[in-house]
Amino acid sequence: MSDYQPKILGFLCNWCCYTAADSAGVGRYQYPPNLRVIRIMCTGRLDPSFPLEGLAAGADAVFVGGCHPGECHYQDGNYHALVTAALVHEALTRLGVNQQRFLIDWASAAEGPNFVKIITQFTEQAAKLGPLGSSERLDPVLLRQNLAMAAKTARDRKIRMGLINASKEMMKSGDFSRTAIAGLVHDKCNKVLTELIGESAL
Amino acid sequence: MHASISTPSTTQAVGAVLVVGGGVAGVQAALDLTGLGLKVYLIEKSGAIGGVMARLDKTFPTNDCSLCILAPKLVEAGRDPNIEILTKSELISLDGAPGNFTAKISKQPRYIDEEVCTGCGQCTLYCLKQIGDDYNENLGISNAAHIDYAQAVPTSYYIDAKACLMLNYQTCGLCAVACQAKAIRFDQKEEILDLAVGSVILAPGLGRITKEVLGRYGWGKFADVLSAFEHERLMCASGPTGGAILRPSDKKHPKKIAFLQCIGSRDQTCGNNYCSSVCCMYAIKQATLAREHDPSAEITLFYMDIRTHGKGFDAARERATIENNFRVIYARPPRVEDVFDGGLLLTWATEDGKHHYEKFDMVVLSQGLESPDDAEQLGQAAGIDLNNYLFAQTGNYSPLATSRSGVYVIGAFQGPKDIPDSVTQAGGAAALCSGQLAAARGTEMTKAVFPEERDISSEEPRIGVFVCHCGINIAGVVDVRAVRDYARELPGVVYATDNLYSCSQDTQQHLINIIREHRLNRIVVSACTPRTHEPLFQATLRDAGLNRALFEMANIRDQCSWVHMQEPEAATDKARDLVRMAVAKAAHLTALPEQQLPVTPSALVIGGGLAGMTAALTIAEQGFPTTLVEQGDTLGGRTLLLTADRFGKDPRLTVTELAHRVKNHPRISVRTRATVASVSGYVGNFTTTIAEKAGSEVVNHGVMVIATGGRPYEPKQYLHGQSERVLTQLELEHRLASSRPLSAKMKQVVMIQCVGSRGADLVYCSRVCCGQALKNALRLKALNPELTIFIYYRDMRAYGFLEDDYRQARELGVIFIRYTPENPPRVLRGHSKSSPLKVIGYDPLLGEEVELETDLLVLSVGIVPEDPSILSRMLKVPVTADKFYLEAHVKLRPVDMAVDGIFVCGLAHAPKSMDETIAQAQAAAGRACQPLSRGSISPEPIVSHVDPELCIGCGACETFCPYKAITIDKAVKPRKAQTLTASCKGCGVCAARCPTMAIDMGRFTFDGIMAQINAFGESV
Repeated sequence: MSDYQPKILGFLCNWCCYTAADSAGVGRYQYPPNLRVIRIMCTGRLDPSFPLEGLAAGADAVFVGGCHPGECHYQDGNYHALVTAALVHEALTRLGVNQQRFLIDWASAAEGPNFVKIITQFTEQAAKLGPLGSSERLDPVLLRQNLAMAAKTARDRKIRMGLINASKEMMKSGDFSRTAIAGLVHDKCNKVLTELIGESAL
Repeated sequence: MHASISTPSTTQAVGAVLVVGGGVAGVQAALDLTGLGLKVYLIEKSGAIGGVMARLDKTFPTNDCSLCILAPKLVEAGRDPNIEILTKSELISLDGAPGNFTAKISKQPRYIDEEVCTGCGQCTLYCLKQIGDDYNENLGISNAAHIDYAQAVPTSYYIDAKACLMLNYQTCGLCAVACQAKAIRFDQKEEILDLAVGSVILAPGLGRITKEVLGRYGWGKFADVLSAFEHERLMCASGPTGGAILRPSDKKHPKKIAFLQCIGSRDQTCGNNYCSSVCCMYAIKQATLAREHDPSAEITLFYMDIRTHGKGFDAARERATIENNFRVIYARPPRVEDVFDGGLLLTWATEDGKHHYEKFDMVVLSQGLESPDDAEQLGQAAGIDLNNYLFAQTGNYSPLATSRSGVYVIGAFQGPKDIPDSVTQAGGAAALCSGQLAAARGTEMTKAVFPEERDISSEEPRIGVFVCHCGINIAGVVDVRAVRDYARELPGVVYATDNLYSCSQDTQQHLINIIREHRLNRIVVSACTPRTHEPLFQATLRDAGLNRALFEMANIRDQCSWVHMQEPEAATDKARDLVRMAVAKAAHLTALPEQQLPVTPSALVIGGGLAGMTAALTIAEQGFPTTLVEQGDTLGGRTLLLTADRFGKDPRLTVTELAHRVKNHPRISVRTRATVASVSGYVGNFTTTIAEKAGSEVVNHGVMVIATGGRPYEPKQYLHGQSERVLTQLELEHRLASSRPLSAKMKQVVMIQCVGSRGADLVYCSRVCCGQALKNALRLKALNPELTIFIYYRDMRAYGFLEDDYRQARELGVIFIRYTPENPPRVLRGHSKSSPLKVIGYDPLLGEEVELETDLLVLSVGIVPEDPSILSRMLKVPVTADKFYLEAHVKLRPVDMAVDGIFVCGLAHAPKSMDETIAQAQAAAGRACQPLSRGSISPEPIVSHVDPELCIGCGACETFCPYKAITIDKAVKPRKAQTLTASCKGCGVCAARCPTMAIDMGRFTFDGIMAQINAFGESV
């Protein structure tokens, strides 16, 4: 497995992580060449289906990079991205995909080296997991089909209503911790997810 | 101060400015001036604008590609209908008064008609007369008919009159035959032009250290002794060796390279007893790049002091030194000798008195900056005074004003300085002109006209892909031609090519031609980052009749070639993937309507110190109402802690006078004991709540300036606060201004530099402390010449003309002892309270520890920025690890924040001196007034739009929109969401949360991103 090169898709927000990636370049900080970046204005724009589509389309891992919590250029887009990420993790769990294949993390515009550290570690982690399906001991073709189905599910109105409610409660509670958000998303989407994707495969 | 501003504008001021010099400072000034509604005549002595920066390969401290960041500015200036560029032109005389000058210009012939020349280069091909290639420091060959460099603006060739056979011997004339455009004009004569201008900005740049001085170090005698300018060209992809660093003598890669500093600087023998301020840092840059070119090269740098005092410079230098294993020696080798075996022998003495010698393969002379060669002539023509080093004379509190009202100076002619400081000064001078000519704003301007947009809505995608070499920045790692060939096969692509520099002016014209010729309707440029270069290419699209939203970039430099330098194949694969993804997205791009939003024509300045007050005054003088918010009781800030400047004047008087002018200015509203409670909005339309004691107040404004300042570091070390004998420099200043500054018993004073700085507490250098120590040492000596003063220092950073103070201090007997961070001096109490302190430190000259008794110990402490955490979060602007505000671009946008409409100046940006603070505050004020003077802004149309067919009126978008930019119209049934285009900032949270996916984002559409994702999946 030493020659294995994971394919990683990244969604970076324009203001922090994408800028950090640029500044890493300007500073000539080197990192593994596995990441392919899609620039979005804000991680808040991340549709819940995008990471799942990425995995379905051939990614072995997906990274979402935004501004540090509290520093979103658009106030709270990255908190909404955490809600989206929680749904992605829920879906991955149900499909039996290793959760470590999806990461949401932060680097400010001034943190080129931090971005490099995050990507280097994530790439190493993805390399250890091997191609999609291998650490899961699942048929990759079937797995990608299921992921495409899950992506479609993430565009389902009922699921998205659940996310709206989770986002609303998160804003109301002011608790932006990942565990709290994961709990909210689980509460709001569990039933529909079970209906559409099925129980956790684990 | 503000000499120009106080000048009453005479009858009918002219709304035009003459800028003398087309280097980065002059070009930036020109762009800033047109942004402020003033027409510009930009005159340049040579055949093209760009100046020295265009000759640099890279720029420190980030090692950004120099031309890559400069070229967009050159192109922008070349395109601007309100900038008239006059090349081969010089100022002969300047008559009249501020507001109404007549500038007499001599314009030498180019012998090739600029308007007709297509830049094809046939004339050069046929030219028989070879000349040295001046752009490449004469390391290469050019022809009498030539262009300086590929990206030159204007993109027109010209003929060297001294060399041309036709002009001198009436023979040849082949170029005229070869030129299909019939642009050759041998009969052109010198023209004398009289230009009517309201003010003048002098930006002639720098002169070169003479060949005689370089010759002392073997330059001109030994082939492998290079000037730094020559070395820079060798490093550059567009240089004479195509970017290979080869020894001129044998064309081999040098394995041992020595950099000698202070060539022609800090050298009384050549009349330049000033520090050139930039060479320490550019040597580090060149050394780093030399290692990048040849990782086995061994590099030695010979320093007197390492003066890397700029923002982030120390960190960049330390990283480079460690990563590249540089050997740094504190010594000044007096000469270079040839040892007849291809080696160059250096001998030097280290501080411990030991002599050393060693051979090197190549020696690079870090030459300093001089005043321009024709400084006296220019000074006379412009009617301004020069200082004793022939730089323009300016005042400490009016750093950009010359001795003649209405005439300003910026860049290296104001004093040796680096690019960001030059760019800053350009913005400052533009602001001063704008204040002086406020009444004439817009009177001389013509409007830019774009051709009508082609309607492409019914066309199939015809995508053009342009893959950039970026010199060797991309092509040195990525196989650009392979990527180009790959792009040609992608769906929708009808044209693909590669360019050496996609951002050069000739490439823009080329792009326009290709777009028209091939009827392209989507453009993908595969080059650097859209964050810096998208606006340039989007302007080109508009020139070609395409909507600017039909553009996409693939970032194969900053996020590919630069970060995978050792993996060319993987980087090329990645570049292919990124291009494929960009092309896939491009196919889904649609034209988006432009929006124009009104601007609230007023400003908010946060912080009432020297920077904030100067910024507020400079904005108000330009005609715009300004609110100044200060949290303290009074205006003045920390400048009030200083009691004298290095010229013996009391800054407190100037600041008090400034505060008086600010308070009484009809357009400035001062709020003391006030803080910013909240900010919302965006450039042109900010709404800020100011919390005051009496309550809070809401202010609407178009722009804002952060000038929150800094404070002195509070030392706990060296018995400060425990012994009355230990003071900081500021505390000493206070005492020096008192009625009894020194007791008669005082015999000996010790100062320690870098207390808390360049170490664990403040990792950065605070820039001003060395100058302050020198100033105070001289003040002490003036009070009591018998006083013995020791200064423990690490590097005496007496940059620029501060070197005069350093020299004077040494001449007056002040003793300087260098210490290392591993072995700093220690302080012990005396036997009793009345007995002196003991300072024990290692003296490298003596090679042993010395114990000094001192009556007074003065600590040079650094500057700490005011805590930016609350404000920076409120404004969504980034700060550095050191808690200074991070500018949008360290070189070319030094006072802009990443968020449009927000600017920074003073200590909130980085430690700096008073004159630097004033210039920067003026620059921030100038940049801030650009949207205000334009009166409207055209933000990128990346807004949300709602498909009413799909919308179910649930209102989730309204709940989550941070800008109230999407609402449910409750009056209409069924309820539907609606975007308020003017308020939408394009974040897209509404689209991500819409339950029915009824909302999509301009340029970042669902289909576009899905196309990118799917294209990612089809990897090569």
